[in-house]
Formats: sequence, C-alpha cells, structure tokens
Amino acid sequence: MTDSNSQVSQTRRRWFPIRGKISLLSSILISIASVLFLFATWWFVTRGEIVEQRIVGPFALPSPAETFATFSDLWFDQQLTRNTLTTLRRVVLGFSLAAVVGIPLGILAGSFPPVKSLLAPLILFGRNIPIAALVPLTYFFFGVAEMQKVLFIFLACVAFVIADTTTSISNVGQQYLDTAYTLGSNRWQAITRVLVPLAMPGLFDSLRLLFGLAFGYIMLAESIKLGGETGGLGNLINAAQKRGLRTQIYLIILIIPIVAFLIDRVLFAIQRGLFPHKYGGGGWLLVIVRDIAHRIGDVKSMFFRPTPPYDQLTLEGIAAAERLDGGTSDDGRGHE
Amino acid sequence: MVEPPMTGEAMSDDPDAQPGNKPVVEFAGVSKSYNAGQTNEFTAIKDVTFTVHDKPGHGEFVGVLGPSGCGKSTILKLIAGLEPQHPPTTGTVSVHGRPVTGPGADRGMVFQDYTSFDHRTVLDNVTFGLECHGVSRKIREELGRHWIDQVGLNVATDQHKFPHELSGGMRQRVAIARSLILRPKVILMDEPFGALDPQTRLNMQDLLVKLWRNVEATVFFVTHSVEEAVYLGDRVYVLSASPGRLVHQVDVEPPHRPAALMQREEQFRDTVYHVNDLIAAEEAARVADSE
Repeated sequence: MTDSNSQVSQTRRRWFPIRGKISLLSSILISIASVLFLFATWWFVTRGEIVEQRIVGPFALPSPAETFATFSDLWFDQQLTRNTLTTLRRVVLGFSLAAVVGIPLGILAGSFPPVKSLLAPLILFGRNIPIAALVPLTYFFFGVAEMQKVLFIFLACVAFVIADTTTSISNVGQQYLDTAYTLGSNRWQAITRVLVPLAMPGLFDSLRLLFGLAFGYIMLAESIKLGGETGGLGNLINAAQKRGLRTQIYLIILIIPIVAFLIDRVLFAIQRGLFPHKYGGGGWLLVIVRDIAHRIGDVKSMFFRPTPPYDQLTLEGIAAAERLDGGTSDDGRGHE
Repeated sequence: MVEPPMTGEAMSDDPDAQPGNKPVVEFAGVSKSYNAGQTNEFTAIKDVTFTVHDKPGHGEFVGVLGPSGCGKSTILKLIAGLEPQHPPTTGTVSVHGRPVTGPGADRGMVFQDYTSFDHRTVLDNVTFGLECHGVSRKIREELGRHWIDQVGLNVATDQHKFPHELSGGMRQRVAIARSLILRPKVILMDEPFGALDPQTRLNMQDLLVKLWRNVEATVFFVTHSVEEAVYLGDRVYVLSASPGRLVHQVDVEPPHRPAALMQREEQFRDTVYHVNDLIAAEEAARVADSE
C-alpha cells in the first residue's frame, strides 16, 4: 500500500456528512423509529385507566388502543372500503375532468401568447378564489348529488392545471423548437411531437402534487352536508363527529394519508416508466407509448403521401445509396 | 495556402463567380438590430455582404470566426430563417436565389446544446424529419439505420437507446444524422463540438469531413476554435466585434488528412496564427473604440 493510500484510509470519519449517502436499510430503520416515537408519545400522553390520570383527556385524544379497537366497527359497520372508493371515484372523476379541460388550454396558452393573455384573468381568479367559500355555492348550481362533488373538484383544480401546463410548455427550451423547425416540422407537429412530450415530465410532476391537493379538497365537499347521506371519507368523519366518536375520526385521519401515499407511489411508478431520462430505468411505459404512436403513424401513412421531395424515397433507392456510400467512405478522405 | 486577406470592399470579386456556379447563399447588405429606437437598441450584425457559390459535386465549407458576441450565430439563424433573428432589419438573405421566408428542411441545423428529443429513441430522433414529411415507417427506419451507421454509431446496439444513455459525442452524432438524413443543400452548425472533450472533438471533425464529402452540401460552421475552422473550412470568414461585420475572408487548405495529423503541420499552424492575429486585431479595435 502506498503512502497516499494509507492517508486516505486514515481520513477522519465524520458523523452526519452533508448529503452523505445512507443505506436503504438504515433509511427504513430511521423512518420506522420516527413512527414508533410518535406512537410512543401518543401512548404516553394518553396512558392511564381513568380520565384524571391522563395528560390529555380521552375526549380530545383517545389512546392508541382505544382508537384501533374501533377499526372493525369502521371497517364493517361504516363500510370503510366502500366509502374510500366513493371518495376516490369523485376525486379521480373531478380531477380527470380538470385535466381534460385544463391541459389542452394550458398547451395553447404555453404555445401562443395571445391565448395566455386571454386566460390570464381566469387563472388569476381561479387560483386565488377561497375554495371553502365555493362549497355552498356549488350546491345552488349542481345540487347535493355526485355531480356537485365532482364539479367542485373540477372547479378547485382546473385553474391550477391550466397554469401548470402553461408553465411546463413555456419551460421547454427554444432550441428544441428551432431544431424541429429546421427538420421541416410544421407548427402542429412542433406542438404535438416536441413541445408537449418534452413538457410532460414537468407537467406530470405538478399534476401529482395537485392530485394530493384535490384529495384534501374532497373532504371539504364531503363533510359539509346538506340533506341525505352522500358517503365518502369526509362524510364518515362528519358522522363520527355527530356521534361523538373521536376514535373513528382519528382513525380516518390516519387512513387518509396512507391512501394518499399509496396513490402517490402508483403515480410515481407511472412517471418512472414514462420518463427514463429523468428517473433512470428502462422506460417500459415510454416504450409502449412510442409503439402506440408508431402504429397510429402507420395508419396515417396509408392515407397521406409524403411531401416532395421525400415522396421519391424507396427501399431500393436507399439500398443503392448505401452501396454507393459504402464504396466512397473508405477513400472519402483522399478526395482531392 | 494562405491568400492575402481581402477587405470587405474587395469581396465582390469572388473567385468562384464563374458561369455555372450558382449562388447557394447570398447576403446583400444584411443588418439585424433588436429593440430599434429604444435605449437598449442592439445591433448584432451590420451590413454583411457575401456570396457562397455551389461548386459542382463539392459544396463549400465555410468556417465563421470572430470575437464573442459578434453575431456569428445570428448569421446562421438568418440563413435558417429562425425567429427572432429572421427577418433581417435591412438587406436580403437568399438561398438558391430565393429570399428566406422561414425555416425549412433544405437548411439543416446542428446546435451546440444537445437537442436530442429525450422521449424518442436514437432511431426515432434520426427519422424525426422524415416522419414530419409523412414518410412511411418502413422507409424512414431503413434510411435511419443507414445514417446511424454513417455517423459511426452501432446500429444493432444504439438504435433503440434513448438519448440520456448516450455520451455528448454520440448525441451530436445523432444530431448530425438527424440533419443529414433530409439531404439538406445547406448545413448550419452552431458550435456543434463546443461542449466536447478535445479527443472526441478531433474524431468528430474527421467524421464531419468524411460525411460532408458524401453529401456535397454547403456548410456554415460557427466555432470559437480557430484550429477547427482552419482545419474544416475551404474558407474562413472573420467577423468584427459587435456589431459584427464581415472583415476578412481567408481561403485555407481543405482537410485532406486526419485532423490529428494535419493540425500538427507547420503550414497549418502558420495559417492558424495568421487568423488568430486577424481576430486579435478586431478585438483590439473594439477595445480602442470603447475607450
């Protein structure tokens, strides 16, 4: 071993180096410790059989054991799964509607400044409107049924979707657009084949964030109740509140982030599959998407002829050119 | 082979202006200013006039040199017809006798920034232009594989890779193939090898010489490297400091030999020093002006 090597091995080992790497196992262990600490604190402040012994009273905060004891009640009597799915369906429908309306508008606004100016007041209004104040108003327009919940999510999200799409499109470098133009693409092709695909990673990122937001908004719409039972997690919280069941409220509050986390992981897995240039990996979803795009293109080329002079290209012509190039490339350097 | 540098006035006596040699690219009194009439008015290039003729069976290779910010890229983008450089404030830019009205596939461009489309495989990147022109997949992929091979990439292993799996040099090979597959008559290169390491750069220079002999296009090559311009070019244009004017036009020896060999020869070094002096003089004139 050389001197310099032994010096390296003697380098003082620091605790907590900035941006130092840790193994996956220690990362998981630390996270578990964090959860355990929270539960231990919860247990500590709510320990004791009678109210007077407890640091925090059972009405404000039931003990962990009491909370989880109501799980079966929540699961069977309150139909937790069905209500979770009801909530999810509303968010997904409302959010999809916002995406279907907002993304095309955002693409137009990001591509054409006049459209951006046209939509700017709407976006400003939509983003700054107090969402909670919107809930009662939507009853007047859309009643108290499913439609109201879905449209509330749509209204709450659509301005954000338009704004974020516009930003993502604007963030695509001008050099990509210039490249597309010098390769003969028209404006429509420049938007659909260059701007939109290159804006997708940024757009998907902000949509994932917005979906989390929408999941929070739906609680608002579900827990403000007029008329009959409408179902959903927000409604469960409301019902538990009325019956004075603190334990169930806490349990639902614990379940919601877990559901949100699982959805987020699913969306992230899709993101990883679609954008290997950002997240590494093989991009299995991108490969599928490209394949679909190819097949659509194949159908198109059955109906449209190439624009001149590229309509002259044939497989035979290419083979002939290949032979020609192969012949000259060896002595290509000694041309003169 | 260094000819005495010609001044702007003498440039109309172009030695290539013979019957049969049609002008490919023509600049007639071209100026480009931004924010005209405002306090932040900026003139990128001023009164640039030149003609590049088509040599039959052999396009011309023009290296464009000049101090930083002298409008070298502006000239390329005016030929390409890209906004906001296009249209010129005064004068006309013509390609094949017709004024440039906008970008088109007849004028290919390779940029310094890696502009590979990240969501497309190498093959899909190379065939992008053909796809835009509606060429069927069978034909364009066949031709795409041919060009992937031509730029020195491995068809079998590289065609289905995504750009992020490639090195900088390989990405620029893709960019060159993507442009050449359309058989442009004019190729515009804006410092394409600027971000590459020196050895890769020499390899890319040799590749370019080989390819250019085959495609017979007129090439405009903007670079900061005098060696690169003198090696690759048939002719080197030297621009003045901002606002850029075309002040020297130097005919240089065409690249007969590999870059690593030729760039070591004494005669080559002499030419490089000569061009270096011309640029240094322009830089000095600008400093004297501003004081």
